[in-house]
Amino acid sequence: MEPILTWARVNSIWAVHFNSGSCNGCDIEILSTLTPYYDVERLGIELRGSPRHADVLVVTGAVTRQARDRLLRIHAQMPDPAFVMAVGTCAIGGGVFQGCYNVVGSVSDLLPVDMAVPGCPPRPAAIIAGFAALMERIRKGEPA
Amino acid sequence: MLDDLFALLVFPGGLFVVVCGLVYMWLNRKLIARLQNRIGPRWFQPAADTMKLLGNEEIMPAGVDPVLFHLFPLLAAAGALTAALYVPLGGVNPAFSFEGDLIVTITLLGLLTLMTGLAGSLSADRFALVGANRTLTQLFSYEVPFLLALLGPALAAGSWQLQEILASHGGRWLLIMQPIGFVVAILGLLGKLELHPFDAPEANTEIVAGALTEYSGRGLALFYLSRGIELVIGLTLVSALYLGGIGSPLAFLAKTLGLLLGITLIEALMTRLRIDQTVSLWWRLMSVAVLVQLLIVVIVGRI
Ligand code: SF4
Repeated sequence: MEPILTWARVNSIWAVHFNSGSCNGCDIEILSTLTPYYDVERLGIELRGSPRHADVLVVTGAVTRQARDRLLRIHAQMPDPAFVMAVGTCAIGGGVFQGCYNVVGSVSDLLPVDMAVPGCPPRPAAIIAGFAALMERIRKGEPA
Repeated sequence: MLDDLFALLVFPGGLFVVVCGLVYMWLNRKLIARLQNRIGPRWFQPAADTMKLLGNEEIMPAGVDPVLFHLFPLLAAAGALTAALYVPLGGVNPAFSFEGDLIVTITLLGLLTLMTGLAGSLSADRFALVGANRTLTQLFSYEVPFLLALLGPALAAGSWQLQEILASHGGRWLLIMQPIGFVVAILGLLGKLELHPFDAPEANTEIVAGALTEYSGRGLALFYLSRGIELVIGLTLVSALYLGGIGSPLAFLAKTLGLLLGITLIEALMTRLRIDQTVSLWWRLMSVAVLVQLLIVVIVGRI
């Protein structure tokens, strides 16, 4: 059963997108990734509205005090196995917002990040490459 | 006994209709993608989605009734799978047939929508509640005209039994004789499957995922599968009644796929109607149209 399940998980990635305090640059790039030009549905990636349906939480931006609890709550609402993908320099390490009075830290300070996509903002191709690398990690069974 | 089990589990119920549902769902998504100038999902996509959902954790939100929460998806799937036994799937005769099975089939098909609505109203989640409200509102708007549209051929044949209706029409294309009924049936099918333009109940850009917002894992997978099964059965039913019956596997493929192409074209062309627009379309226009159609059938007699 396990190999079939892994195959299904690799080939069907439903994502939910959360902005934890980004400047919106990364979000716009994520939206472009979902346009017909890049067509991620051909790779089995779909954007879902509900965290209950999602496998991957795509987080953009440094985590602000306001967003912290909501980020944790949305992550807790996802069914196991839930993967976290940090998109953009801010989500990875705070970026330009590092040390701001309203910023708690990066995503990895709060959640286990399974895949990080660097860039300010990363191009859609880089985001797709991030998804591909995440699929490869799921195939190898690396993220818990 | 063994025959019945085979009909129940392998063909035409059970395995066959599930696989058929997955394939038709893929075709629907692929066609939409091609019409939008995209490449579209790979052929195994719905199967992979379902398997992944079955393997995922099923979260039960706080405060819902655990029995009902698990029962609704099961009932939805059971209704769809049972309906498969009464329609000429794959071009062979239905596994079971009795006087009035047309009504039973339509009722069983309605079970999925009803269960979706009830499942949504189970939780305290506001998106699920709005979605459930819209699902049930839509159910009450399209169900009656859809039923009447499928009764047109039955009235013309003077029987409530699918087998007899098909035999009495003997391969005539009712589409030519009852065009209004055909249009209403097609649109009813779109409403039943919550496809564009009738997808206000699950409008994922406004109310997250509609009635199924709180469902994950197995429950969601069952609803997903039932949707596919319902697509196949709906296509079979409409093409059997309106497109001159389904006499052979080839006719089944040709007619249902042709119809699928038709509804996919409508789906790709249309944008979402607001729920009040949906209701007024059905009650002001469609139900009147289908009543006129029935009147014509009654007056002209057995056409
Ligand atoms: S990485 Fe750049 S584009 Fe993305 S949120 Fe930070 S500053 Fe904005």
